[in-house]
Amino acid sequence: MWSYAFRRLLWMIPTFLGILVINFAVLRMQGLSLTDTIASGMGKGDGERKAESASQAIETWLGRFHRTGNDLPALINLRGFTTSDGVRGRLLAAERGPQVDEAKRSRAELEDLWLQGPLLVEPLLAVLKDDGAARLHGPASMALSLCAYRPLLPEDAYLLAPAEQDRIRVRNERLKQLRIAYRNDREQGFITADPEAARKRDALIALLHADAFEFSRSSRRWSAIVSETGFVDFAHRLFTGRLYSETRKALAFDVIAERWSVTAWLNLLSILIAWAVSIPLGVWSARRAGSFADRAVTGLLFSLWSIPSFFVATVLLHHFCTQDASGAAWFPNRGLSSPDSLWLSTPAYLADLAWHAALPLFCLTYGSFTSLSRYLRANVQEQLASDYVRSARAKGVSEDVVVWSHATRNSMVTMITLGAGLLAELFGGFVFVEYVFSIPGLGMLTLEAAKQMDAPLMMAATVVSVGLLLVGILIADLLYAVADPRIRSRYV
Amino acid sequence: MSEASPAQRALAAAWRHSWFRLGCAMLGLFVLLAVYAPFLANEAAIVWWDAGGISLPVIADLFNRNTFGKQHELLFNLFALLLPVYVLLWRMLPGRTIGRRISVCALILLACWAVVQVPLLPRPSGGYQALWAERPTTQRTSTTVHRDAGAARWCLLAPIPHRWDATYPSAVLKPPGWTNPSTGARTWLGTDPAGHDVMARMLFGSRISLTIGFIATGIALLIGTFIGAISGFAGGWIDLVLQRLVEIMMCFPTFLLILAVVAMTGRDIFVITLVIGLTSWAGIARLVRGEFLAQSVRDYVTAGRSLGLSSGRLMFMHVLPNTMAPLLITATFGIAGAILGESGLSFLGLGDPRVASWGQLLNHGRENPAFAWLIYAPGFAIFVLVLALNAVGEGLRQAFDPKAAP
Repeated sequence: MWSYAFRRLLWMIPTFLGILVINFAVLRMQGLSLTDTIASGMGKGDGERKAESASQAIETWLGRFHRTGNDLPALINLRGFTTSDGVRGRLLAAERGPQVDEAKRSRAELEDLWLQGPLLVEPLLAVLKDDGAARLHGPASMALSLCAYRPLLPEDAYLLAPAEQDRIRVRNERLKQLRIAYRNDREQGFITADPEAARKRDALIALLHADAFEFSRSSRRWSAIVSETGFVDFAHRLFTGRLYSETRKALAFDVIAERWSVTAWLNLLSILIAWAVSIPLGVWSARRAGSFADRAVTGLLFSLWSIPSFFVATVLLHHFCTQDASGAAWFPNRGLSSPDSLWLSTPAYLADLAWHAALPLFCLTYGSFTSLSRYLRANVQEQLASDYVRSARAKGVSEDVVVWSHATRNSMVTMITLGAGLLAELFGGFVFVEYVFSIPGLGMLTLEAAKQMDAPLMMAATVVSVGLLLVGILIADLLYAVADPRIRSRYV
Repeated sequence: MSEASPAQRALAAAWRHSWFRLGCAMLGLFVLLAVYAPFLANEAAIVWWDAGGISLPVIADLFNRNTFGKQHELLFNLFALLLPVYVLLWRMLPGRTIGRRISVCALILLACWAVVQVPLLPRPSGGYQALWAERPTTQRTSTTVHRDAGAARWCLLAPIPHRWDATYPSAVLKPPGWTNPSTGARTWLGTDPAGHDVMARMLFGSRISLTIGFIATGIALLIGTFIGAISGFAGGWIDLVLQRLVEIMMCFPTFLLILAVVAMTGRDIFVITLVIGLTSWAGIARLVRGEFLAQSVRDYVTAGRSLGLSSGRLMFMHVLPNTMAPLLITATFGIAGAILGESGLSFLGLGDPRVASWGQLLNHGRENPAFAWLIYAPGFAIFVLVLALNAVGEGLRQAFDPKAAP
């Protein structure tokens, strides 16, 4: 039994990882429109004021970009291998001429360079140290200050000691100041024309050498292929609970923590209700198979199965939750509790909850009546026609005992399997019900995150949904083993 | 006389179920309404006879520039013209079985569709493109046709004289039966918050639902069949890997994925179709794999192997036709699922705002609860269409596997 449970648990790991990868790939492919903020500043930045605003725009963008791990390659990092020569080529291309299209090209090249992050600090430093390459020092210092920049993210900040935070802040500020402007110096070069630039350059080199432990990654080049990727970064953030939601200004899991239990409870209750209704219904129709009542119920359930739940929810909301002239409604139209429910006694609170949850639960549940009860009907019918039932009847066992403790019990294995499948269906359906009845659950959260393009929150919500679903499937698997001795005996 | 194919036998058996016949009838009705929607709801007259002679403004309307912006409309419009030809020449069409004849019809339709695209191809000089560009849009010519009906010697007008995309400034959220002063015609189901005629939008919404249902399921069938066939036929580690993939897709809360993609990429009807198709193939793949596993030990496969047939030929020419019946069943339920998926997305406010969709109307009804017709008309339409598809699928299933329950 336990080895069986363990095996099932192990099989879930690749499934979970696969879901993570697919979801990650999909969200990455959306490619948030990130180049726009940078385009406004860097393209036309000639005066000092504009250049300042450009660097601020870059820094804002950097912060946002790092938060989702979007600056890294998705699954395999090959750009960690950029050589010093490659960097020089890029810097040459990035050197800006007077024409507008040159400025654009230069911006694109610089973006490419600094997207490579800390791994590039070493080759860039080499360029900056080389006096012969003075004409590249402007772009190199620009790219360098961006690559070495370490955004202080809110979700990181509380993990760091205050002294460390201050150090990073000061260093970022210095990086910003030491950036060498490269506006008009194509002919002159920086060193000969501008002693100020030479001073800045030396200070920048010294500053980054002091931080060598952070940037000397030449030994880590090979491991960087896998470890310095967007997916690993994302997974690290996910498993350490540091996915940060930009729109809510909070950690994604903190947002979800308030919401997930509502969805979990609604789903659990809805499955229990579905079973409680379908089992008697299925047995009832199996005993009357072929009769008019059975056919009528089948037809009814079949139509019920085809009604979309969002239609039913809207109709119910329209008819039972709209206030009439006296201001009274049969059911509340939003949420799961009344505004004053905190001051109610426990029984009154539960009654209030039931009053609020009745319609949403109905909308979630009615669709599963059909499949559950029809499968049970077919199964019980099959059991009733089998030999052991005939012998039981011949021995004089009463009909109720035959139907309930023999035939139905033997059909329960199917019901458990179906319950797991049902769970997967439910996880699509609760979005509608929560949307219509304004229930603050996981589905509503996912919808809001999707509409606000909040990828980390969306991801966290999906992961929690998948987690709940997998736990449900695992429980169903275990119940399966409990109900069916053949499975238990296979994995002693 | 050749032996009937398994799919044909299943169809014949299913025809004996009253549910199946009812479902087919309802589905046929929906298809007819969708195909002839421009003849039922249009500002342009169908036949117009005045001093200048007899003209058919609706035909011009079928192929104007607006239509070319929406390829699914174009396909339906071509089908509207081809359908009578098909019916008249049914007996002369090549192909012995119904399935083959339907495929021939679909191929002819696609060929016509491709031919109509030719003038749209970029050309160095004006050419045909100029011809299409000069054609006046319906919006300009026909707005007043209905009111000016007296000017014609004789005219045949569409029963609903409003275009689905025409808005009338004074017609926001009017109840059913309201008479539109700018056209002098009645709106059967009132108007929506943007001032569209709800009945016209309902008719054209069936086009969207059917397009999504069939195309998304087509995509899912292609992927699912391919993966399932390879998985079942190859076995070994390929099977193991593909089965993991299928299991991932089965466990995936696909609706959340669709939500993410659609909300972030764009609310385009073809993106929605593609995403629904790309996420709903897992069940089909699992089914096809099971069928292939069962078929691959049969004698005819062994015979084919010993004759030296290639695996591809064996898989797709010999084994696949034998798995048609269960595929047909799953596809029918898949169409219903895709239609529900699209209307659900539109209901959540994530549908394509440029097309008429039932879910969109239902969402308007949710936002304006005082206007019940905005809830009941689209909701009932979705219900009946899904019911029809489910009934067809159920009939097929009962015919194919009488022991299985819904």
